[in-house]
Amino acid sequence: MRNLGLKVRMVIVGSILFALYAVAAAAAIFVFGSGVLPIVLIGSVVLIGIQYKVGKWAALKSVGAEDMPEDRFREVHRSVEQLSRDMGIEKPRLMYADMGVPNAFAVGRKKAGIVVVSTELIQLLDHDELEGVLAHELAHIRNRDVVMMVLGQGVASVVAIVAQYIVLLTGDNDIADFFLAIIVGQIVQMLVMIFVMAISRYREYVADGDAADAIGRGEPLARALEKISAGNERASDSAVDEQVNALCIFGRPIGLAKLFSTHPPTEKRIDRLRN
Amino acid sequence: MVSRELLSAVLGVGLGLVCLAFPGAVVRINTAGRVPGGRHGEYGDDAVPEKWKWVVRVVGILLLAGGGYFAYTVV
Repeated sequence: MRNLGLKVRMVIVGSILFALYAVAAAAAIFVFGSGVLPIVLIGSVVLIGIQYKVGKWAALKSVGAEDMPEDRFREVHRSVEQLSRDMGIEKPRLMYADMGVPNAFAVGRKKAGIVVVSTELIQLLDHDELEGVLAHELAHIRNRDVVMMVLGQGVASVVAIVAQYIVLLTGDNDIADFFLAIIVGQIVQMLVMIFVMAISRYREYVADGDAADAIGRGEPLARALEKISAGNERASDSAVDEQVNALCIFGRPIGLAKLFSTHPPTEKRIDRLRN
Repeated sequence: MVSRELLSAVLGVGLGLVCLAFPGAVVRINTAGRVPGGRHGEYGDDAVPEKWKWVVRVVGILLLAGGGYFAYTVV
């Protein structure tokens, strides 16, 4: 069975998220009466749908992604066609953007996927390394990682909103209730997101493993990560480095920053790809 | 209700400190799943733009001020 470890983890995290959602719905019914249930259910679906659609549009817009012309990026198109066939998915739409840094990301779902690659990444990596990165992004689409994150954030948002309204509507409607409602909502969202972030980090490892399977070895992707990571260290005085968390030690997140990371440490990913 | 004001003071100061100490984590909590990750920084990291961190730091200061105000009213 493919990715048994991921399936087991998804069952556990999915059950926890569903339980939290059920508790929030039950609490809403207890406080506001059973008439609130359709609002919670329909509201959840609408909220998640809007988050998915707006998120996809905003991601492409924010980097200024454009369709990747086949005549200019023939090799990339051929690689993605081959990898998509091998991985049993439809070829996603390919886009490129000048992001200022080597980067790539996937948005959308299995039959409506989009992979965006930065021109800097294409220039930096050798062809087999770029194939490793592309295979990793295709694995995200095949494994429905984007959809999973939207669902996870959707559950966190609904639970937080319910908690906020309970605090707000059970109080005296004074300023302390408004302040407390905002804080409780944020704290509840944080607690739910711990599970979502943990599964997100694991899904990165799974996508790495799937990419290694698709291209036959993990070394090209490991080299790609190493190259990008080395470039990042060299550019420690550049503007890009300003984006690295001030509380990181040698680029490694600590404490809460580590708990709420969507990606595992790059060194660990490289180690796993090589072993 | 004094208990709510006390809770507002404690949680407000606590969350304010978290916003100041871990602004990147707070941004990720609120954006993961809403906008696809991995668009900022370099491939393989989940960097957060510095301007978003500053917004969270400002929110952190407001939360500290709010928490301080409620602590003052309780005392």
